[in-house]
Amino acid sequence: MIDTEQLKTCVRNGIDFVKKQRGVVDAEIFASWNEHITVRLNYTSDIPCNGVQEPKSTQVSGIGLLAVFKTGKETKVGFGSSSNTITPQGITEAFDKAKRNKIYDPDFYSLPEPVGKSVLENYHDPAVMEIRDEAIVDLGWRGLKGAITEYNQKQFNKSIIIGGDITIRKEHMAIASTKGMNDWDESTVLTANITSMIEMEKVKGTGWNTSTHISCFSPEEAGRESAESAIRTRGGDRISSGTYDVIFGKQPVTDLFANIVIPALSLSSINTSDTPFLGKLGQKISSELLTVYDDGAIKGAIGSKKISCEGIPTGRTDLIHNGFLVGFLANNYLSKKWNNKIASFVPRNGFRFEKGGRNPAIQPRICPTNIVIEGKEEVSVQSLLSKINDGIYIGRIWYTYPINGLAAGDFTTTVIADSYLVKGGKIIKPLRPNTIRINNNITDILNNIIAVSNDKRQTIVWGGEEVVLAPEIAVQGVTLDNISGFIV
Amino acid sequence: MVVRALGQAGLLESCRYADVRLGIHEVKYAHAENGKARGMGEDRSISFGIRVLAGEMSAWGFYGQPIGEVESNPKNFSKILTLGISRAYARAIANANKKAEFKPFAPSLTDVKLAKIDACKDTMYAIFDDDPGTIPVKEIFTLCTKISGEMRDVHQDVQYASVDAKTGMHRELFCSTEGACIDQSYALTQGTVAVVAQKPGGIPETCHDYLGDLRGWEVLNARNVYKQSLADFAFMRTHETLELTEAELLPATNDAVVVVTNPHFNALLVHEIIGHPTEADRALKLETAYAGRSWLWRDLHDNELGKQIASPLLTAYSDPSINGYGHYKYDAEGTPAKRVTLIENGILREFMNGREYAAILDHPPNGSMRATESHAVPLVRMTNTVVAHGNKPPAEIVAEVKDGYFIVNHRIPSISESRENFRISAQKVYKIESGKITKLYRQGGITADSKDFLMNIDAVGNDFSVFPIPDCGKGQPMQIMRVGNGGPTLRSKAKLTGRREL
Repeated sequence: MIDTEQLKTCVRNGIDFVKKQRGVVDAEIFASWNEHITVRLNYTSDIPCNGVQEPKSTQVSGIGLLAVFKTGKETKVGFGSSSNTITPQGITEAFDKAKRNKIYDPDFYSLPEPVGKSVLENYHDPAVMEIRDEAIVDLGWRGLKGAITEYNQKQFNKSIIIGGDITIRKEHMAIASTKGMNDWDESTVLTANITSMIEMEKVKGTGWNTSTHISCFSPEEAGRESAESAIRTRGGDRISSGTYDVIFGKQPVTDLFANIVIPALSLSSINTSDTPFLGKLGQKISSELLTVYDDGAIKGAIGSKKISCEGIPTGRTDLIHNGFLVGFLANNYLSKKWNNKIASFVPRNGFRFEKGGRNPAIQPRICPTNIVIEGKEEVSVQSLLSKINDGIYIGRIWYTYPINGLAAGDFTTTVIADSYLVKGGKIIKPLRPNTIRINNNITDILNNIIAVSNDKRQTIVWGGEEVVLAPEIAVQGVTLDNISGFIV
Repeated sequence: MVVRALGQAGLLESCRYADVRLGIHEVKYAHAENGKARGMGEDRSISFGIRVLAGEMSAWGFYGQPIGEVESNPKNFSKILTLGISRAYARAIANANKKAEFKPFAPSLTDVKLAKIDACKDTMYAIFDDDPGTIPVKEIFTLCTKISGEMRDVHQDVQYASVDAKTGMHRELFCSTEGACIDQSYALTQGTVAVVAQKPGGIPETCHDYLGDLRGWEVLNARNVYKQSLADFAFMRTHETLELTEAELLPATNDAVVVVTNPHFNALLVHEIIGHPTEADRALKLETAYAGRSWLWRDLHDNELGKQIASPLLTAYSDPSINGYGHYKYDAEGTPAKRVTLIENGILREFMNGREYAAILDHPPNGSMRATESHAVPLVRMTNTVVAHGNKPPAEIVAEVKDGYFIVNHRIPSISESRENFRISAQKVYKIESGKITKLYRQGGITADSKDFLMNIDAVGNDFSVFPIPDCGKGQPMQIMRVGNGGPTLRSKAKLTGRREL
């Protein structure tokens, strides 16, 4: 492990070095060390298996250097990196690359400047930073035990599948610049995401648990929850194709927002003209019941950071307020490129998330942190159900994609678990998994929201660093197609 | 050094097996948008991954780490490698102890067994005409800037045009405690274009597509599946995208219609409904939480092996020995690569596998394990996974259709959990009337249950192409892998997706 003091020293000394180089007008140096640990679960009661398939880890560390050069009358900008080397030689290597590869980019205005004060301090868990291999392995087996115990207690021990993972992310970073940036950050994240099945009954359940501190982390609870949900959804029915009123549970809300809505609310989508919300700032784009914002400074949320990878303190960026489009996620580069062309954007979301951490080898992209979804008048889950006379509660969806590109707004996904038929405001029967495909346009979904629940939970996104604080949302008139008649 | 470190691993008390992969990647790249420079650079990365099988009731432990230039000097590297082996071993031992502890409550927990392979010693050299090492990064940069500017200038309705290009060399050393020592190198060159076009007040039309092969810079000078330079390819996609802004939205249908799918569309179709469900790790449920299971295999006694799952006209295989993004000679376990017949005349024959999964299934190991980088754990991956060509000219396949649709070029997929149903969008859809291709539609595609689509295939073309698919996601943490997919023109039945009548 490379500690934060080493990173701080490296970037400060690096700035001193770069300032002395001929032609340099400005420079920013980012250094980080990240470890991504995964314990993959694989238990199959009827097939020889390992239980925990493998405990594994990988690391990303190094230096990323962005420098602005004055060459005659022209200003050029260059980026260089040095992988896995936090040393003066690494600084030299990164600088040489930046100098060699400098370009004239008419849309580059300036490096980020220090602004505001960070909300979060000392929010990571030192015990996670020091976790030992035996303890890592133990977390995996605890997740498995939670599910197996639940199945065994309920007398299910055949045709059981338990999969998923326990993931630990440790991140250290420091940044310094000639603009006066001089800051650092340390974060720890633990997630358990477990899916289990009674396969012969064609049922699947999902459970998850998240924490920034190991003392509050419970992988066994994720295992237990997955088994309980699978058991509860036995004996499900199919439904015929048609238009239904639907309650989207927390995982479907997360999937829809993380894959369809939030990417379209980023300046990078504005930059590529690939969003259904182009030209709609200030206009109504959804039901007035919906408010959405990104907030990277929520204490205890796993998407939280003290500062972005550009050194900007994290905080709240409003995106949709009472149905009106009020903002876009931004980084420094695009916020300056688009400043005053459509509005001003605070660049709180410039992150280098890649390969399980803050990757110094890439320049900051726009990434969400904690996505918060709220209702104007939030209601209890019971009240939400009472709004559905004849419809479906959807608890988990799968492979949600903007099937005709983000700008078109069309999306498709399949319903794979944790779902029920609702009649007269009550859950009456499970829905058979893998028998429904949702085919809709996201603008219709957003406009047809009829209620938002007051019960929110941090919900994980596969392959993403962000988390969604997701409620359940009721939507009228969702098109559902009956599929896979030949098999399930 | 690697062999010496592995020798030490072999001496650890209950180490049953260990392997090390050490990889070096060098790449030059550039990116431009709308004729404006966005970035260029050259990167080099070194990383290693160690798998150890250890313990009384043997279990896996893995340790991966990228290393820097400073650490890569022999003295430092030897130290890091030894430390890595001890970490992987400690994890394997802890895992094995827990497995033994849980065995009374979970009887299916088993010792890991690996199917036997020959321990090969071999060296493979990269194949290229134009050495990526000799291509100045400024040349890549100039090319991207020029092409993206010219794409933008094609028409005022082009809202956005971007071009990325990269070329580089990749080398990986594989050594195992069984005595394998394999040194494989390959070149990789790829060009990516993105276009967004929109008529005033209209819906934007987007296109994102790739050129690429495991060769040198010549790939972007027309030595590719399209036989086009990167510039010609980019202009072709730009003009097509502009043409689509004038087209009507495809109306969806409630019933299946006759569809002729071209090889580019079939690349993604094969990837999703043949390639993924024939991966042994999915069949054995290892991907249940994320990438999904396979409808082709329920358990050891109930599965589709030897059964008719497709039209007798359809044969599909996965072949790392042919050119394409899935080309290699040995996989990430040192198993010699070979052609794997997945479906033969409509009968399911074999799954792509690795040594552990082959042992569980009692199948011969067929060398299908790969990792995106050396510090990541290997998974079962498609290679060049394709439908075999048939004997009918594509023009004849279209000419025989009285009333149907021609589905041209893939776009975005969404697949059911066990790959039993799919919806895939197409870049373009044409009406076929009395054997002639007529009206163009946009923002459409097809949907069907996979088995229905495969069984309904009634024509297989005598054309054949393998396309680069650079971004297949699988595993946790997700690994993005390059694979080759393709085949000939096909004719079957599916529902159309697109605009629905309200």
